[in-house]
Amino acid sequence: MIGRSRATTLLIGVLTTLVLLFAVVPLLWMALSSFKSTGDIATRPPTFLFSPTLEHYDRLFSGGNDITNYIKNSIFAAGVSSLIAVVLGALGGYGLSRSTMRGKRHLAFWIISTRMAPIAAVLLPLFLIFRKLNLLDSPYGLIVAYLTFNLPFAVWIMNAFFNGLPSSLEEAAMTDGASRWGAFWRIALPLTKPGLVTTWILCLVFSWNDYAFAQTFSGTKSQTIPIAATQLITQTGIDWGQVTAIGTIVVLPMVVAGLAVRRWLVTGLTLGAVTGE
Amino acid sequence: MLPALIPLAIVSLVPFGYIVWMSFSKVSLVGGVHMTWLGVDNWSKMFSDPNVLSSWKISAVFFGATLLLEMVVGVGIAILINEIIFARNIVLSVLLMPMFVAPVIVGLLGRFLTDSTFGLYTWGLSHLGIGTNILGHKSSAMATVIVMDVWEWTPLVMLITLAGLAAVPKALIEASSLDGATYFQRLRFVVLPSISGVVLVALLVRAMDAIRFFDIIWITTNGGPADATKVIPLRLYETAFRFFDLGYAAAIGLGMLAFSIIFANIFVSLLEKRGATR
Repeated sequence: MIGRSRATTLLIGVLTTLVLLFAVVPLLWMALSSFKSTGDIATRPPTFLFSPTLEHYDRLFSGGNDITNYIKNSIFAAGVSSLIAVVLGALGGYGLSRSTMRGKRHLAFWIISTRMAPIAAVLLPLFLIFRKLNLLDSPYGLIVAYLTFNLPFAVWIMNAFFNGLPSSLEEAAMTDGASRWGAFWRIALPLTKPGLVTTWILCLVFSWNDYAFAQTFSGTKSQTIPIAATQLITQTGIDWGQVTAIGTIVVLPMVVAGLAVRRWLVTGLTLGAVTGE
Repeated sequence: MLPALIPLAIVSLVPFGYIVWMSFSKVSLVGGVHMTWLGVDNWSKMFSDPNVLSSWKISAVFFGATLLLEMVVGVGIAILINEIIFARNIVLSVLLMPMFVAPVIVGLLGRFLTDSTFGLYTWGLSHLGIGTNILGHKSSAMATVIVMDVWEWTPLVMLITLAGLAAVPKALIEASSLDGATYFQRLRFVVLPSISGVVLVALLVRAMDAIRFFDIIWITTNGGPADATKVIPLRLYETAFRFFDLGYAAAIGLGMLAFSIIFANIFVSLLEKRGATR
């Protein structure tokens, strides 16, 4: 880095710009198009100059295409599922981290296999089970479906975050008379708050972004917002103004939430195999 | 606190038992769920089904291409970003954004950007002499879904690699500079060997996820044109929920599960080596 030539600096600048464009153009184009009138969207060549309109957003929250219920379903299913996952994940992850039992490798293997099981394969047995238990087209069914990937993920990640915490603090507290539960609740849990929040947000993102489960298991009563976007694909064409507006609504909160925990993302997304910064 | 693992066992083992049972049965949905024992019929059918075989081949192409591109581009971008001093956090945040986009929206955006009349990328590519019916041709449709997957998941590889780069000892780099190593020699003989473990983790995480998700292809091409992008999860979905042969689909699903279990096994061995499972 010392004595870098101007040519090198320029090269780095140009490459970085290209990479940034590759990443951001599709998202910017989506957001931009959501403020275009239907006529402005369908021009060829694409237009960059237009008079912005809120008509697509207006139509999303009024009349026959109202997506308020979809948003409510999404918040309920993703929110509750991720909360359950975090609570059980913190407990199970802590137990796993502090236990000295044998066969931990098998347990680890089982948990990771569950997390990484192909969604298409998980759909099949759940579809039959839900049909028997009357959980199809129900937000509770979706919560259970999301737990199949959120729960192993939360347990595993919380285990990784607790592993990064020296157990000497809790041991000191227990020598001073705290119970195992007290050591967990008052020492370990507060210290791993970033881990807890990261786990919760990642679970939220995974379930909010789900399409396969919601598409297969839900009918009119439990459809989530990604489904609303695909329902605009019809035989007669696609209403791109509405689609880009819904897309923006789906994407924006998750990008904000995801970037808020950026420092801990590496640990979370590598299932604790790599620790960041 | 290990009892907290019981719900996990329920959502994990019950469906697993069910899918194994399904794969040996004929599943009927008429008037409630009925399963009739079939023996190994589904399994023997699967191993001789040319459609399933061709879907596995398409999956292999898709996985091979996406993983290779994501690893090369991701590591490349990480090395680039690592050199940036100015506005590095902002650049990093922007580059990470695609990772949080719902795959279904990525699929819709793919269709939007490659629309034959008003697609932004169609318009750009037409200047390079590339035809406008991008999703209508076998090879360009495949290329499109590959690029979309690369767009969404390269940031993950980059992020993991950056964590690896941050851990390369500065003394090592300085020592090699003093010994007269050029930038590329340093990269080749010092930096890349030190991050190889982390890069392997990135590869495994991506490999396991690559067979998990199929939303992007589902929305963009739905396996077409003429089955050119019908990867194995899409074949399974069609078998189960369009032709309602759920028993047969279960056998295909277990085949996929075997694939991810192999990668999970390698991953756990790697974790042990890195001391992450303790």
